[in-house]
Amino acid sequence: MPETGNALEKPRVGLFVTCLVDSIRPNVGFAALALLEAAGCTVEIPLAQTCCGQPAYNSGADDATKPLARAVIETFEPYDYLVAPSGSCAGMIKAHYPELFADDPLWRERAEKLAAKTHELLSFLADLRGFRPRNVLCKATAAYHDSCSGLRELGVKAQPRALLDAVEGLELRPLEGEETCCGFGGTFSVKYSDISAEIVGEKARNVEAAGADLLLGGDLGCLINMAGKLRRDGARTRVFHAAEVLAGMADRAIGEEA
Amino acid sequence: MTAPAQDFHTRVEKALRDPQLKIALERTTGNARRKRAAAVAAWPDFEAARAAACAIKDHAIEHMATYLEMFENNARASGAQVHWARDAGEASRIVIDLCKASGAKVVTRSKSMLGEEIGLPHALAEAGLRRVETDLAEHIIQLAGETPSHIIWPAAHRTREDVAKLFDQYHHEKPEGHDVVSMVASARKELRADFFTAEVGISGANFLVAETGAICTITNEGNAELTTTPPRVHIVTAGIEKIVASTEHALQLTRLLVRSATGADLTQYTTFHCGPKRAGDRDGPEEFHIVLVDHGRTRMLAEMPEMLRCLRCGACLNHCVVYRAIGGHAYGGAYPGPMGSVLTPVFDGLEQSRDLPAACTLNGQCKQVCPVDIPLPTLLRHWRARSFRAGHEPKAVSLAITIWAFFAARPRLYRMAQAAALPALRLFAKGGWISSLPLGSGWTATRDFPKPPRQSFLAAIRKGATR
Amino acid sequence: MSAREKIFAAIRKARPERATPAEIGAQAQACSEAMKRTLPALDQDDLAALFTARASSEKVGASVERVATLADLPPAVARYVASNNLAPDFALQPDPRLKNLAWGELSPGAPLRADSALAVGIALCGVAETGSLVFHSSPEAPTLYDFLPLHHLVALDAKSLVLRLENYAAFAQRLAIPRNVNLVTGASGTTDIEGVLARGAHGPGRLHIVIFD
Ligand code: SF4
Repeated sequence: MPETGNALEKPRVGLFVTCLVDSIRPNVGFAALALLEAAGCTVEIPLAQTCCGQPAYNSGADDATKPLARAVIETFEPYDYLVAPSGSCAGMIKAHYPELFADDPLWRERAEKLAAKTHELLSFLADLRGFRPRNVLCKATAAYHDSCSGLRELGVKAQPRALLDAVEGLELRPLEGEETCCGFGGTFSVKYSDISAEIVGEKARNVEAAGADLLLGGDLGCLINMAGKLRRDGARTRVFHAAEVLAGMADRAIGEEA
Repeated sequence: MTAPAQDFHTRVEKALRDPQLKIALERTTGNARRKRAAAVAAWPDFEAARAAACAIKDHAIEHMATYLEMFENNARASGAQVHWARDAGEASRIVIDLCKASGAKVVTRSKSMLGEEIGLPHALAEAGLRRVETDLAEHIIQLAGETPSHIIWPAAHRTREDVAKLFDQYHHEKPEGHDVVSMVASARKELRADFFTAEVGISGANFLVAETGAICTITNEGNAELTTTPPRVHIVTAGIEKIVASTEHALQLTRLLVRSATGADLTQYTTFHCGPKRAGDRDGPEEFHIVLVDHGRTRMLAEMPEMLRCLRCGACLNHCVVYRAIGGHAYGGAYPGPMGSVLTPVFDGLEQSRDLPAACTLNGQCKQVCPVDIPLPTLLRHWRARSFRAGHEPKAVSLAITIWAFFAARPRLYRMAQAAALPALRLFAKGGWISSLPLGSGWTATRDFPKPPRQSFLAAIRKGATR
Repeated sequence: MSAREKIFAAIRKARPERATPAEIGAQAQACSEAMKRTLPALDQDDLAALFTARASSEKVGASVERVATLADLPPAVARYVASNNLAPDFALQPDPRLKNLAWGELSPGAPLRADSALAVGIALCGVAETGSLVFHSSPEAPTLYDFLPLHHLVALDAKSLVLRLENYAAFAQRLAIPRNVNLVTGASGTTDIEGVLARGAHGPGRLHIVIFD
């Protein structure tokens, strides 16, 4: 199914903006929209979307997750692709919806069909659209954190780097432990906030040691976690979603006011 | 294992307050991670090897009854006595009875996590037997009166400085220096005599080889052979999932097990024991007993068979951000880290260990490094779902999730609540950040939270905004 | 029902055996073959060189020397004794091939003790892949010779070398199953304190291998 999409001149993409971007950082949503359009997609943003259900699913509340998953499936079935600016939410839809409906053949089939055409934004742009940003300038050094779900569930690793490589003036610096979890883990960061704090403490030290101006990543949850810790520790590192940089919309970093 | 009295949160708090712990853990697990990475890099097809290792274990699990029977017959033919235990209590009792029957006063042990799992140290003490732990790390924690905090490095929570203090205090002859080599030499001297006074030596097993009836142990200090060869009686305790088809399969798995654990190609000693002393042998035990333990494994066979693949290599611990933050004791079970969080609910019951599967970011690094590709995050989530269904989760948490899901399933209501919440939250912000979040005080105790926007992305889109 | 019967009943309930022994054997074989295909390539031409490189690598930490024939073992032992300032008496593994050598000034008759300084033995075979020595216990090869001494000096017949662990497993299948098999890969050691390798835990602190043709 997704393979036919490869050939599509102008695919219809349903942008699943994710609940965090929707509520906390709309700029990432606008950046995703701009990038997808620049990559030749017709983008629609279904207004009925809320959340993929991951917080409930990872809390073990399968029954509470199912209505949310069904709603996402129904809402995004009509599109050629579902694209989300988050490896974690895309991973939820791609890897876990089919598991969620393991005992429900009808919904399982629909979940699998949607899973097949669901993509994380940066890998979608790089792999399926062959996109590279043009004339985007960002004079800065940056460290890149590989968020876990994108990295391990979806294999997002080279794509964001390839895209960022095309940004003029941007220099990527190595980050010690770039593939190590930042300690966010969704509800984990609230339920076990002390353990989460210890983990993000180590991450923040590594980010500071990298000595880059910017910290970039592909998942807002992790970025908020790291940005919040860096800010509390008094670090100067500015934190952006990679899409914001790629779209040339990296004006105000997370936590910076107008 | 009886669960420690304190609850998980208390143990975590204690661990996080201990700066020495963090240093010790980082030295051991950091070394382990680096060495494993180098070993894996030298095996270009490592991913395919993991899949092959997985298939070898799955094969044994699929034919478990056949292979266990074959093992038992071959072991008996070699002169070994095979005992079966359904649970921890039964297993300990069998071992204690064997010790008593042999008139033992001193028992040497070489490291075995199964022994910890079935509470053997405690049972031996209750039976009035002097227990001598001969593995260096087990010796250290025996002196300190502790339990293991890592399945490969039981004393991973102790720095070399801690060990020096313990040896200075307890060894008959103090170590000549406080460098690692002198301390190892000191332990060698301290334990030498006990190897020859013990009447019984107890070990574990890494594999039970069906084809030969031998048990395989993988060790590096030489203490294991000195524990199992001189005493008159050798008792092996092993979980039934250790069964493999053949010597070849055992060795093939060992290649991955050792690389994943310490980064070596093989440990110093890969040993196969098959029965007691034979005619003409100058050494070896006169009695050889194998205690095969179920303790939840047949239940796992039905419910989470993947976990029976576990080789106990410890890689998932070394690569776990939570383990590295809190150490092994905070988990409260015999096995810590990701694999422990899957196993402890099997052994100790889900209700009292529900925190373990929950206290995980599900980042998946454990699965990535596991030599037999156990889907640890999936299994942990499986426990969460069970716990939620059984009503073990704290009421406030399940209520919050239920209410949130109720709104999220109703976009209109969700929008309305969101439209009210965002401006309200903004009131807590100062200079773009919230430093004390209502209902999220745990988060903001150590980090800030960005000030949310006036309106959500979707609200802006509805109004026709483009950026 | 006994514990044994209950355990088997539970296993059979979850995993009823449907395959014939021949099918199970074929599956087991396929598993080994699949693993073999993943193994990194090794230079098979000179097993002794491969073995030497592995055994003397930093990871394994043994010392290795090569002599022409087994008759050259006594001088090799004499050199080792001299360079390590050891007494000339040592424990000799009761293997007839060793007993009959011309030991000259050396006295190989010392009994094996808990604190023996040196034992001299001979391996059944060696595994080149890992630099491991293989011992099968027997009246001529007691287990403790490999574990009690501080220095362990082992003769290894170059013709007995096999390439990989799988080759050893195949070789062992043709022999009677011994009471005790030890694959010894380097001198004893421990990483129990902070993950740092220290040699000479409870077993030998030094392993010296003399390969003969
Ligand atoms: S779960 Fe995997 S990584 Fe963890 S100890 Fe077991 S085999 Fe090793």
